[in-house]
Amino acid sequence: MASEAVIPITTDIDVVAARQKGRELATVLGFVSTDSTLLATAISELARNIIRYARYGEILISSVQSGERVGITVVARDKGPGIANISLAMQDGFSTSGGLGLGLPGVKRMMDEFHLVSDANRTSTACLWQWSTGWGMANRRLRQPILLSPH
Amino acid sequence: MEKLEDQYTAALRDSIAGKGESSLQQAYELGRRALADGLGVLDMAAMYHKALTACLSRHSTPEETELMLRAGASFFAESRSPFEMTHRGFRETNIGLRHLNQTLEQEIKRIAHALHDEAGQLLASVYLALEEVAGNLPPAREHLLKVKGLLDLIEGQLRRLSHELRPTILDDLGLLSALKFLAEGVAARTGLLITVEGDSELSLPPLLSTTLYRIVQEGFTNVTRHAKATQVNVTIQHELQTLRCSVKDNGIGFDVSSLSARIGDRGLGMIGIRERLNSLGGSLSLVSTPGQGTELVITIPHTNSLES
Repeated sequence: MASEAVIPITTDIDVVAARQKGRELATVLGFVSTDSTLLATAISELARNIIRYARYGEILISSVQSGERVGITVVARDKGPGIANISLAMQDGFSTSGGLGLGLPGVKRMMDEFHLVSDANRTSTACLWQWSTGWGMANRRLRQPILLSPH
Repeated sequence: MEKLEDQYTAALRDSIAGKGESSLQQAYELGRRALADGLGVLDMAAMYHKALTACLSRHSTPEETELMLRAGASFFAESRSPFEMTHRGFRETNIGLRHLNQTLEQEIKRIAHALHDEAGQLLASVYLALEEVAGNLPPAREHLLKVKGLLDLIEGQLRRLSHELRPTILDDLGLLSALKFLAEGVAARTGLLITVEGDSELSLPPLLSTTLYRIVQEGFTNVTRHAKATQVNVTIQHELQTLRCSVKDNGIGFDVSSLSARIGDRGLGMIGIRERLNSLGGSLSLVSTPGQGTELVITIPHTNSLES
């Protein structure tokens, strides 16, 4: 399968498609099922945010390799209202989850790495990497990490 | 609106029927809703068990049953994932609080040192300067003696405060002596009548005695600020495998239910105490009725190595 996919996000059906892509890639890379679930959860939360706050956006899912490690990068992009205060958005209780630790802070805790950028053009980009902990199938050669730049 | 439980069962049925990712996404959303509704992980396990029982067919072959259970396991994991997120958040917060407490202890040590040593040295310089002035201005000697008397009081007060902040007596003579020392100081400043009772032979690990010292210290602060009490009794008892500490006053009391909701607003004191107790597996309760005083009770599991 292709190691990169771009899924436009406008409805709940698209969320399912994005999760599906993430899970397929996770299976190819030999992710253990717990990690696949965490990845699907993160995709759900990011896609939820797009639908709720921006209405339209896209999610890019691709494999990355760094040395011996392989992992998955998810980039969520939208042209919504932007995030006026990133540090505030990363505080528990800021989002609609009512302080339950879901939303972006929750995603951050699920993933190995997480970055959030919101620039003057009102584009939010959440990039995250999750490294495979199941090394069984990790020997296949994958292309180099994609370069992530704020949009 | 359809009941959560019914939706959960229907979604599990879809998942077992092979509807794949869309049913897993639904499992996730239902888990999210359950979390928002206040359900716990055990509720989720019970709901899953009930739904699975409803979905399994008696006529399935072992192979079919195995496939169903496998699909069910994925479904279950998805519906629990929102709980995993909040669990991680809780753990992170607790680690943060622990660091905060450690920083606080270091800061207390620094302030105690500044009060005792640095302020002490400055006072010593003031004494010398006074001596010099007294030598040069003999008529002022009497006034200067009064000033010196006041400085003596200040020095004594500073020394006492610094010892209360981080009492070396806690390390040297144990919790009971340290609490008695603290109580004497608080009584002298506030006019409260304070008694401290307990087993003087009680030997506790440093973390435990520091925690209890800080809790009683916070208890005294609260009594002084809010209780309008005249008397406080502190007791420390070691019962079976539990250490029980009580701080009881005869003040105005309050409606506990109205306070619990605001406990997060009551400054770092109570939040810090909760974390300290959490890390020791202890618990805290406040017993009070308006007009009938307040009792703060702390219980911490503890086995005295001498007795065990």
